[in-house]
Amino acid sequence: MRDGKHPDPTFDAQRWDDGRNVSPGLGALSGEGALQRVRDRGPLADRGRAPPERVPREEAPEGKSYYGLPVLKEPVWKWFIPAYFFTGGLAGACAVLGAAAQAAGGRGTGDLVRRCRLAATAGIGASAALLIADLGRPARFLYMLRVFRPTSPMNMGTWIVGGFGGLSAVAAAPAVLPRSRALARAADVAGYGAGLLGLPLVGYTGVLIANTAVPVWQGTRNTLPILFAFSGAVSAGALLQLWPPRDRAGARGHAAGEMVLRFGRVAKAAELAVSFALDQEAARRAPRIARPLHRGLSGAMLQAARALVGVSLVLDLWPRRGRRTLLGTLSGACAMAGTVLLRFGVMQAGRTSARDPHATFELQRRGRGGAEEAARGEGGMPTLPGVEPTGQESFHAGPGA
Amino acid sequence: MDQNVPSDHAMSSAGAQALERTGPDTAARRMGFFTDTTLCIGCKACEVACKQWNQLPDDGFALTGMSYDNTGHLGASTWRHVAFVEREAPLPGQGSPRDGAAAATWPFAELFPLGQPGPTSLLRDISPSHIETPAPLGPTERALGKFSWLMMSDVCKHCERAGCLEACPTGAIIRTEFGSVYVQPDVCNGCGYCISACPFGVVDRRADDGRAWKCTLCYDRQKGGMVPACAKACPTASIQFGELSELRERAEQRVEQLRSRGVGEAYLYGADAASQPGTEGLHAFFLLCDEPEAYNLPPDPVVPTAKIVRSWWAMAAGVLSLAALAVGSAFSVRRA
Repeated sequence: MRDGKHPDPTFDAQRWDDGRNVSPGLGALSGEGALQRVRDRGPLADRGRAPPERVPREEAPEGKSYYGLPVLKEPVWKWFIPAYFFTGGLAGACAVLGAAAQAAGGRGTGDLVRRCRLAATAGIGASAALLIADLGRPARFLYMLRVFRPTSPMNMGTWIVGGFGGLSAVAAAPAVLPRSRALARAADVAGYGAGLLGLPLVGYTGVLIANTAVPVWQGTRNTLPILFAFSGAVSAGALLQLWPPRDRAGARGHAAGEMVLRFGRVAKAAELAVSFALDQEAARRAPRIARPLHRGLSGAMLQAARALVGVSLVLDLWPRRGRRTLLGTLSGACAMAGTVLLRFGVMQAGRTSARDPHATFELQRRGRGGAEEAARGEGGMPTLPGVEPTGQESFHAGPGA
Repeated sequence: MDQNVPSDHAMSSAGAQALERTGPDTAARRMGFFTDTTLCIGCKACEVACKQWNQLPDDGFALTGMSYDNTGHLGASTWRHVAFVEREAPLPGQGSPRDGAAAATWPFAELFPLGQPGPTSLLRDISPSHIETPAPLGPTERALGKFSWLMMSDVCKHCERAGCLEACPTGAIIRTEFGSVYVQPDVCNGCGYCISACPFGVVDRRADDGRAWKCTLCYDRQKGGMVPACAKACPTASIQFGELSELRERAEQRVEQLRSRGVGEAYLYGADAASQPGTEGLHAFFLLCDEPEAYNLPPDPVVPTAKIVRSWWAMAAGVLSLAALAVGSAFSVRRA
C-alpha cells in the first residue's frame, strides 16, 4: 500500500522492533535509482523541536564558540510539563492549607477543608495524566517505580506524586462516597498525610529543573524551589478565591474566607520577593545566564507573571465585604494567570538558556562549574545517597575495581 | 570467548546479565577512548562506522555551511560527530611547505624553496626552470601561513560521574562492567530527564521512537571481545581504544612529544579528576589544541547532582515556611 503513512508495507512490519530501523518519518525514500526522493526535514531539525539557533553576531561576545551552535540539548519536554508544575503545585498547596485548616478546626472551616481536599485530588490526577502523556513511551510509566534514588529528583517526585495521590484520594473520599464514620476518620488521617506530602510536592519541581545542566536553572538552584513553593501557594489561594468555600456567616464572620485571604496575601508577597531574589541569584553567578529572565519571550512571560501577581496582591489589600466579591474574583483570576505564566516562562527561559552556548561557557569560565565544587575542598564531588557516585553498583565490580 | 555479536534484544538482556562476570579477562576493566585530535584527518569514517554498526537512522540530509561538518552535533541517531574548525591561526606542525615550517623535513623539499609558491603539479612542473625563476606569492599562499584545521571526532564522554546516569528515574542508565555508561533501551521510558542533565549535550530522545539513545561504547562489540566500530575504522589511530590507565600514559607521552615539536597548545581534556573535577574524569578523553569552546566542549563541566545538595535544603526551608504560613493563617483567624 503506497500512501503517505505507509510507504513500504514490508518495512512497516519491523518498524517498532527495536526502534533502530531507518525511520520513514526521518528519511522516507520513494522512487528508484536516480529518481529517488528523500524527505528533507530541514537543516538539523528534529520533529517538534526548533533547530539549533545560531547566536546573532552582534550578540556574540569575545568568547569562542563552535559556529554559535548550542553546546547543550534543549529540554525535550512539551507543554505538559510546565502545566504539571502548575497543577502539582496547586494540589500540594491545597493539601497543605486544607490540613492546616483541619488542624485549626472551628466553625466554617469544614467546607474549606472539603474543597481543599477535592482540589488536591483533582490536581494530582491531572498531574499524573500530564506526566504520563509527556513520556516518550507512556506505556512504561510504571518503570519509574523500579528504583528509589535520591540523586534523581524526578524519581523522588514519582514517589511523592504516587503517595500524595493515594492519600489525597482517601482524604477526599467522604465528599463522593456515602457517609461513614470510619471513612471520615481515615480521611482525616489521610488529610494530614497529604498535607505533609504536599510540602515536598510543591517544592521538588524547582529542584528537578535545577538539577540539570541548563545554565539559568542551575544558576538559580537555590531560589527556584522556594519560588515554586510559594507560586503553588498563590495558585491554591487563587483557586479558593474563584471557588470560595461556603461559610455559614456566624458571629465571627467569614472565617474560611479570611483564612484564604491571609494565606494568599502573604504567599503573593513572598512569591514576588523570591522572584526578585531569583534574578539576583542568576546575575550574581553570571550576568549572561540571567538574560532569558529579562529578554525575549521568556522575559516577557516572567515579567507579565510578576505583574499579574502584583495586581492580585493590590486587589487583595483592598477592603471588601461578603463571600463572593468582584474584587475576589478578579484577584483570583489574575493570580491564577500569573502562576501559570510563571511556570511556562521558567520553562521557556530554560529552553533559551540551553540554546545559548555562551551562557554555559561564561558560567563555567567564572568558576561556577566543577571548580566551585572542587574548591569546597570536600575531596571529590558532593554525592547524594541512593546511587554510588559512578553507578558502579550496576554490576559486581569485583576486587580491585 | 563468545564471538557471536548479540542483537539489540540480546544486548538489553546482556545489560541485565551485566551482573554476571563473563570471564576473568573481562572482570571490571575500565575501557575507554583517547581521541588525539592532532591525528584526525576529518575523513568521518568513525561516523559512518558507528552509523553502520548500530544501524542508526539518518538525521535528515542537509548542508550546514559549517565547513565540512554537516552533522552539526551529537544526537539520538548520531553517536560520533566530527567537528571542523578552520581558523586563522597557525598550528605548528600543521601547514604546507610554503609556510616554511620545518620545510627541510618535507619530501621533495628542494622543489619548495622557502617563501616560494609550490608547483601545482609535480608531474608538470618538475623542471629546473621553475626553481631558477621563482614567482611572487599570491594572496592565497600568503594567507596559508596563518591557517590551521581543528578536527575532532566527538563522542559521548562516558563520564566517571555521569549526569545522565544520576538523573535517570527508571534506572535505565547503568554503568557496564567495562566502565561505560549504557542506556538500556528496554527500560527507558523516554522521560527526557537525562537530556537536560548531560553537561555535554550528548544524549537525546529520538522523536519517532520515544526513547533516549547515545553511544554505547559498542557494548555489544566489547562483549564479543572486539574493539568499538569507530576505533576500528579510524585510519590514523586518532581514536584509540583500550584500558584507561594505559591510554592516559600514552596520552601524556603524546602531549610531551607534541610540546617538544613546538605544539605548545596541546593539552588533555578530561583525562582525570584533577583536570576535570566536575565529572571526575572522562572515559573518553581528548587531546586538544585550542580552548574547549572552539570544539563545542564546555570548559569546566560538572555533573548537576554535585550542585544540588544545597538546593534540597533551600526547598526544605521554603516549604517549611509555607507550612508555617498555612498554619499561621488558619490559627490566627480562628483566634480572632
